[in-house]
Amino acid sequence: MAIEKGQTFTGSEKVDKYRPIYYAGASGDFNPIHIDPEFGKMVGLGGAILQGLCTLAFAAKTVTDWTGDPGKMKKIKCRFSAPVMMEDTISVEGTVTDVQAGRARVNLKVINQNGAEVLQKVEVEVEV
Amino acid sequence: MSIDTKFIGKTYPAYTYEVGKEKIKEYAKAIKNFDPHYLDDDFAKKSKYGAIIAPPTFAVVFGAYLIEPVFNDKELNLNMPMVVHGEQELEFLEVVKAGDAITTTAKIIDIKNKEKLDVVSVEIMSRNQHGKEVSRGIYTFVERK
Repeated sequence: MAIEKGQTFTGSEKVDKYRPIYYAGASGDFNPIHIDPEFGKMVGLGGAILQGLCTLAFAAKTVTDWTGDPGKMKKIKCRFSAPVMMEDTISVEGTVTDVQAGRARVNLKVINQNGAEVLQKVEVEVEV
Repeated sequence: MSIDTKFIGKTYPAYTYEVGKEKIKEYAKAIKNFDPHYLDDDFAKKSKYGAIIAPPTFAVVFGAYLIEPVFNDKELNLNMPMVVHGEQELEFLEVVKAGDAITTTAKIIDIKNKEKLDVVSVEIMSRNQHGKEVSRGIYTFVERK
């Protein structure tokens, strides 16, 4: 697949009620803020929040689905800017901002159903 | 209480994690990623990798074995209920395959004390059984005061 500047791709994921539990089991992140809504409320988060790294994994999936080869993704970074709650829908929009020296730089916009950015400064590098 | 900046540079003992094929599948399903590279044995065998590979972000699964000791570090003394994940950076240098033995080390590279929060950054580095670096990561955690 030829990757060119300006190319775009999209993806989306619904956060089902039990996603943090599945993610906790698979990743080992059983922090109560992710699996106990009462605890989440008590510490001012308004309920249980999805593990940020699960949101990042959703964003990364959009990239690897687009390239078709998971080994092509060389870097991903982000800031976790807003909590992701159960039943949220996360939409990802990728744009290739630059292609140079065998690497494509991709910017990802990652928002919830209200348009709020849940990840910011998402930078990805893909081998071309 | 603020996190003491004297812990910048502190390292944590290496941990070697054996990458299990079924663990990869479990993780891929948990992140709702059904790419056959992770889940389909026949597809994986015929792929250019010749085996089930881990999703790139699986790096945080073996990485967690070095983050846990940071969270449990009595000296550093993080107030865990008030800690959230602020930023994450992951660099992928080699594809990780089922059966690999990944050795990870960690180091605190930054601590910042701000008015309403403290920030601690941990760098991890992972090598496979061939001594090749497979991934690097920087976890930035924010402790709300």
